Amino acid sequence: MPSMDAISRNLMLDSLRDYARKNIPYDFIREKDQANEFPDKVLKDMYDHSILGVHLLMVPEEYGGVSGGTYDIYRICEALAHIDLGIATAVFATFLGTDPLNVGGTEDQKKKWLQRIAKENLMVAYAATEPDAGSDLVNLRTRAEHVLKNGQLAGYRITGNKQWISNGGVADLYTVLALAPGGPCWFLVERNMEGFAPGKHEDKHGIRLSNTAALSLDNVYVPKENLIGEVEGQGLLQAQAVFGYTRVMVAAFGLGAGWEAVEQAVRYSQQRIQAGGPLSDKQGYTHKLIVPHAVKLEAARAYIEETSNRLDGGEHGLQTEGAIAKYSATEAGNKAADDAIQAFGGYGYTRDFPVEKIKRDIKITCIYEGTSEVLEMTIYRGRWQEHLKSRGRYYIDLADRMDALHDRNPEVGARAAGLALRALAAVMEECRVQKLTRHQAITFRLGRLISMCELAYVFAGASAKERYSESVRFDTQAWQAMSRIFARDAALQMATEGLAMVLGSVDTAGNIAAAVDMDGVQAVQKGMMADMDLVAVKLKQTFKAK
Amino acid sequence: MHIAVCVKQVPDTTEVKINPETGTLIRAGVPSIINPYDHFALQTAIELKKAHGFRVTVISMGPPQAKSVVQMGLALGADDGVLLSDMAFAGSDTWATSYAIAKAVKKLGKVDIILAGMQAIDGDTAQTGPGVAQQLGIPQVTFCVKIDVDGRKIIARKLIDGGYEVVETRAPALFTMIMPPDYTSKYPAFLDVHASLRKPYHVWSASDIGAENHYLGLKGSPTQVARIYPPPQREKAAMTNGSSQEAVEKILDIMRKEHFIE
Repeated sequence: MPSMDAISRNLMLDSLRDYARKNIPYDFIREKDQANEFPDKVLKDMYDHSILGVHLLMVPEEYGGVSGGTYDIYRICEALAHIDLGIATAVFATFLGTDPLNVGGTEDQKKKWLQRIAKENLMVAYAATEPDAGSDLVNLRTRAEHVLKNGQLAGYRITGNKQWISNGGVADLYTVLALAPGGPCWFLVERNMEGFAPGKHEDKHGIRLSNTAALSLDNVYVPKENLIGEVEGQGLLQAQAVFGYTRVMVAAFGLGAGWEAVEQAVRYSQQRIQAGGPLSDKQGYTHKLIVPHAVKLEAARAYIEETSNRLDGGEHGLQTEGAIAKYSATEAGNKAADDAIQAFGGYGYTRDFPVEKIKRDIKITCIYEGTSEVLEMTIYRGRWQEHLKSRGRYYIDLADRMDALHDRNPEVGARAAGLALRALAAVMEECRVQKLTRHQAITFRLGRLISMCELAYVFAGASAKERYSESVRFDTQAWQAMSRIFARDAALQMATEGLAMVLGSVDTAGNIAAAVDMDGVQAVQKGMMADMDLVAVKLKQTFKAK
Repeated sequence: MHIAVCVKQVPDTTEVKINPETGTLIRAGVPSIINPYDHFALQTAIELKKAHGFRVTVISMGPPQAKSVVQMGLALGADDGVLLSDMAFAGSDTWATSYAIAKAVKKLGKVDIILAGMQAIDGDTAQTGPGVAQQLGIPQVTFCVKIDVDGRKIIARKLIDGGYEVVETRAPALFTMIMPPDYTSKYPAFLDVHASLRKPYHVWSASDIGAENHYLGLKGSPTQVARIYPPPQREKAAMTNGSSQEAVEKILDIMRKEHFIE
C-alpha cells in the first residue's frame, strides 16, 4: 500500500503521543515491568476505534482500516518504541499476525478476517517459531493432517508446539505455521478452539510488558477455509514475501528506543555538573557516549526511509534492504542504549531512570525477526550475488555515483562514502579470487561491512536533498555533519577491517593494500573533530534539559 | 445553528529558540501544534454539535501546511473546513487577520456562533478574536470557559478575577475561550483522521473572500513588529541559609547594602 498523506500521518502520531503522555507515565511502565504484567487496558485503548485504533494501519480501507503504507508504519513503530518496546511489540505482533492474510489470503478470507480484526479489535499473534525451529524453519514440526468428510477435504487437525509467541497468552486470533501434506501453510486459529492452549507468560530479560508464551496445539480442528490462500505449501513463500517490510518495523523499534536513550542522556548531560561544568560540554563524554550513536542512528533512519519509500513505491521483496535496515538500526540502538547507561553513571544503573529498562528492552530487537547473525548472512548472500552478477561492478558503480555527488555537493561526505564502497568492492573481489567465502566468519563480517557502506551511500544521498524528510529534527548543517562523520568512519573501518580480514586468511595477498586506498581514506578524515564538536552542540540545542 | 471555530497553527513554544543575532524565531525542526486555546474552542463547538446537532465549520489562516489544524478539526467532528491561504495574507497583523477572517465568515453565509481561543501562545495578543467581532459588528464575550445554548439565547460562563460571570447574549455573537481547570484535550482516533479526508475542505484566497489587498499583509497592517528578542538572562541569585531569623537578617543586610532600604 502506498503511504498516506503527511498531514494525516502526523495527526495520528500526535494522537498516539498524546495518549502516551496522558496514560503511560514512566512510573506505570516501571511497575508493570517489575511485576512482569501485560498492560491490557493500554492495549485495549490502543485498539479502540474511538481512542486510537493503531491496528487499523495494517487493514486496507475497503475492510474498515486506514490503509497504512510502510512509511506510515515505520513512523508509528518508531513512536511506539519511544514509549515502551513491550507495548510496541504487542502492537507489532498484531501487524505481523495480519501479514500472512494481507499477502496470501483469498479475497473472501481478507474480507472476513480483516474486517473482523478491524471491527472487533482482535489482537493477533504470529506463531511460526518452535522449540527446534527458530531462524531455520525447515525443522518445522507442527503438523496439519487432512480431515475428510464424505471423501472430501473438510478441514485440518493441527498438532504441535510453538515457542516465544508475542501476544501468545492474550491474542484472540493466531496465524499458525504448520506442515500440511502439501507443505508449510498458515492457518487461522481462534483462541477458543478445542485443543488449543497458551502457556504461561515468560519471565524475560526485557520487553516485560509484552506477553510472550508458548502455545500447545493438540488436535485442533480448523475448517479448510482457515488455510490462508487455500492452497497448501505457500507458507514459507508468504513469510518471505513480507520480510523486507516486517524488518523495517523492527528497524524502527531499534531507531525509536535507541533515540529515546540518547535523548535522555543528552538532556541529563546538561544538568549534571562535574569538574566545573556540565557533562554535555566535555568531549571525552559526548564524543564517546553520545555523538557516535546519534550519527549511527540517523544513518539507519536514512536507510529505513529509503527502503520504506521503495516498498511504498511498489517494489517487492527488498529482503536484503530490509535486513540491512533492521541489522543497522537495532545494533546501533542497542549500543546507544548501553552507552546511555554509562552516560548516566551510577544513576543509569538504577531502575529510577528509564535507560536501564530501555537497555534491557532493546536487546530483543537484535534477536527477533532474524538475529543479527542471520541478517549478516542474509545481507552477505544477497549482495554477493550482485557482486558476481555484475562482475565486481556493483559497488564500483555506487562509488562512481558518490564521486559525482561529491562534485555537486562536497558537504555530505560523498567522497568518503565512495572510498568505502571502492574498498568494499576490492575486498569482495579479493575474497572471490582467493575463495575466502569458505570461511563463515568472513561472510558474516562482509555482511556487516556491506551494511555500513550502504548506509554511508544512502545517508550522503539523503543529506544532499533540498527537502529533508519530516522525521529529521536537525538542520541541514547538523545532518550533513552527521553524514560526513558516518562516511569517514565507514571508509576507515572498511579499509582497515577489510585489509585485516583478507591478510589474516591468505598466504599471499594480491594488491589489496593498494586497492583499499588507505592514503585516500586517511585524507578524508580531515575535519572529523570539528564535525563531532558541531553535532554535540546541535544535540544539546535540540534536546534541551527539562 | 452554524458555528464557526477559528483555529491557528503555532510553533510548540516549549521548543522555540530565538536567534540572538537576527532576533527571529528559529522554526527549523520545531514542531507545529494547534493553539491550545483554539483546541478548547474546537472541542466546545463539537460538544455543542453533539448536544444540539449544530453544524460546525473550522476556519484557519496560514501557509498550506496549516491545513493540519483544519483537518484536525474535521477529524474531531467538524463538518467542513476552510483554510485562508494566499501570499497576500503573509505578514498580517491582528487587524488585517481579523479583517480577512470576518470576510471569510461572511462568505460562509449564516453563522450564529463564532468561537476562538482567548489568545495564541505564539503572539499572545488576544486581539484577533475580538477584532473579528468588531469587523462583523456583533457582540463578543471574552475569556469564556463554557457555552450553553437555549434557542437563540447563548449563555457564556466568563472567567473574571476571583470567580465567574454568567453572560447572556443572542446569536450571532463571538466568544473567546479559555480552558477551565478540569479540561482535558482530545485528539482524534486514527479512523477519524482517515475519514476527515473525505469531508469538505476549501482553500480560499484573498479574492475568494472578496478582501481588498490594501487591507491585507504587511502593508495592510497598522502595526509592525520592530524586533523580537529573548529577555536578558537573570543574574544568579544569592542564596542565604541558616534559621529563618538568620536568613531574614542576611537578606535585610543585602537590601541595605544595595540601598533598597535604609
